[in-house]
Amino acid sequence: MTSLPEKLIGAAAPRPLDAQRSKLPLLLALVVAVGGCVFPFVVTSTLTLSLLTQALIGAMLATGVGFLVRQNGMVSFGHALFYGLGGYILGVLVSRGIVPIELALILAIVVPTVLAFVLGLVITRIPGVAFGMLTLACAQAFYELALKVRGLANGDDGLAVTFPARIFGVPVSLLQDPHSMFVICWVVLMIALGSLWLLMRSHYGLLTFAIKANEERARFIGYETLVPRAAIYAISALLAATAGVLATFYNAFISPDMLHWTLSGSALIMAIIGGTKAVWGPALGAVVFFFIKEIAGDATEHWPAVIGGILIVVTVFVPIGLSGLLVRVFSGRRA
Amino acid sequence: MLIHVLNGLVYGGLLYLVAVGLVLIFGLRQVVNFAHGSLFMLGAYVAYATIAIAGFWIGLLAAAIVLALLGLLLDRTVFRQLQDQDPIVTVLVTFGLLLVLEDFVRTVWGRDNLTVAVPQLLQGTVDIAGASFPIYRLFVIAAAAVIGAGLTIWLKTSRVGLYVRAFAADPVTTGMQGVDTERVSASVVAVGAGLAGLSGAIASPLLALSPAMGGSILIESFIVVVVGGFGSFSGAFVAALVIGQLQNFGIVFVPSIASMVPFLLMMAILIYRPEGLAGKAS
Repeated sequence: MTSLPEKLIGAAAPRPLDAQRSKLPLLLALVVAVGGCVFPFVVTSTLTLSLLTQALIGAMLATGVGFLVRQNGMVSFGHALFYGLGGYILGVLVSRGIVPIELALILAIVVPTVLAFVLGLVITRIPGVAFGMLTLACAQAFYELALKVRGLANGDDGLAVTFPARIFGVPVSLLQDPHSMFVICWVVLMIALGSLWLLMRSHYGLLTFAIKANEERARFIGYETLVPRAAIYAISALLAATAGVLATFYNAFISPDMLHWTLSGSALIMAIIGGTKAVWGPALGAVVFFFIKEIAGDATEHWPAVIGGILIVVTVFVPIGLSGLLVRVFSGRRA
Repeated sequence: MLIHVLNGLVYGGLLYLVAVGLVLIFGLRQVVNFAHGSLFMLGAYVAYATIAIAGFWIGLLAAAIVLALLGLLLDRTVFRQLQDQDPIVTVLVTFGLLLVLEDFVRTVWGRDNLTVAVPQLLQGTVDIAGASFPIYRLFVIAAAAVIGAGLTIWLKTSRVGLYVRAFAADPVTTGMQGVDTERVSASVVAVGAGLAGLSGAIASPLLALSPAMGGSILIESFIVVVVGGFGSFSGAFVAALVIGQLQNFGIVFVPSIASMVPFLLMMAILIYRPEGLAGKAS
C-alpha cells in the first residue's frame, strides 16, 4: 500500500548501527532545548512571545501530523479532530465542574488517543489517498456535531472556559501568561520530540518502518501489521490532543474552529513546509508558518491563497521541506 | 413522507453529479481532486454572475462551460504534469488549489452570503400527497436524472466512454492497447469539472452562496465515493441516493446529529466491506 515517494513522505529507515557517527546533532539538539527555556528572559516582548507560544502549540499539532506521515506514510487531513476533541473534553468538563481539573486534563488526552486507536483499527486499513479522505470526513462529522449541538458548548459561539485557580498545585494563571506558557509549551514540545526520536529508533519504530516499506513482507516474516499502524495513529493523535489541551489552557476558550478542517489543513501544510523526514521538521515548519502568517496577515487579506500557493510550490519543487534542505546544507559542509 | 423522500432525492441527485466527477477523474488519473468542491462552489458563483446579465438558463450553460474549460486547464497544468509522481502529491496540490480558489471567490464576490432567485418559469409549488412542494426542487431532481442518464449513455455507447471504462478497470493494459491517455483524460476531467460546475449552478437557488460552500459537498461526495467503492459509477449512484435520503431524514428527525448519520454509515460499510458497495475485493 505504501508506494509513497521517498522524497516527499520521507525517511528511509534509520540505521541504528552507525548511530555513533556524529555526536554533533545530539549536542545541537541539547543546546536548542536549553536555549528555548531561557529565551523569554532574553526576548521580553509580550507580543512576540504570544505569537511564539501559538507557534509552539501549532508545532505540537504539526509534529503529530508529520509523525504519522513519517512513520506510517499516511497523510491525515483531519487531525483537528483530536486537537478539538482534547480541547472540548477539557473545556466542557471543567466548565460544568463534573470532575476535578486534574482528571479532566488526563481524560482530555487519553480519550482522543483511545478513540484514534479504535478508529485507526478501521481506517488505517484503507490505503493512500482514500485514508486522507476518511480522516477529513471523520473530523468534519465531529465539527458539525460541535456546531449543531448547542447544549454542549454554545455551538458556533464557542465557550469561554473558567478554570479553577490551581492545577496540580500550580496556578493556572501561569498557563495564560505568554512568558511562562512559552516555557511550558517549549518543554512539552521538547519532551515530545525526544520521545518520538527514541521511539523511532526502537524495535517498534523500525517495525513500523518495515510495515510502511512493505506490509506484505512484514506480515510474511511474522508480524501483525494492523495494530502497529493503529498505534502510530494513536500516538500522533496524542500529540494533537496535547496541543488542543495547551491551546485551551492558553486561550481559555473553545469553539468549533478547533475542529474545522482548515486547521487540519494548516497542520498538514506546516508539516509539509518543514519536511517530515526529520522528527523536528514539522515543528520548524510550524514556526515558519506562523511568521509567514504574521507578515502576510499585515500585508494582505489573502492569507489562504498565500498559504495554498506555498503548499503547491513546496510540494512540487521542494518535497524534502525546510528540514531536508537544512540537513542537506549541513551534511554537505561536513563532508 | 413522500416530501421527505423527494427532498432526499434533490440532495442525492446533486451529490451524484459532484461525486461522479471524482469517480471519473479517479478512474483515469488514480488521483482524488480535493478542489472538486471548489469547482461546485465556483459554478454557483459563475451562474450568479451570469444570471444577473443574461438570465437563468444562460447562467447554467455558462457555469458548465467555464468550469469545463477550467477542468481542461487543471488537467493540463496539474494532473498531467504530476502523473508520474505519487498520487498524494497531486492531492496536496489540489488541496492548495482549494485554498487559492476559495480566496479568489472571496476577493471577487465578498464573504457575505449571496442568493440566486428561482427563475420565473419554475416558481411556485405543486401539491404532492397533500403537501406543497416547490416546483424548482422537482426540476432539480429531473435535471439530475437527465444529466445522470446522459452521462451513463455517453459512457456506455461512445468510444471515449469505452476508453474511460477500460481505464477504470485497468489503466496499464488500456494504455498498452494504444489508447491516448492524455486526450481521454483531458475530456474526462473537463466533463467532471463541468458537471461539478453545472450542479453548483443548479443548486444555487437552493443554497446560500458563500466561499466555504464547497467544503461540505466535497466531504459528502468523498463519503459517496468511499461507500460506493472507488472508481465505480453504479456504486457512486447508489451511495449518493442512499446518503441523500439519510442526510435528509437525519435533518428531519435528528437535526443536531444529522451530520453523523452518513459518517456512521461510512464507518459501518468500511468495517464490513472495506472495498465499498460495488468495489472489487482485493
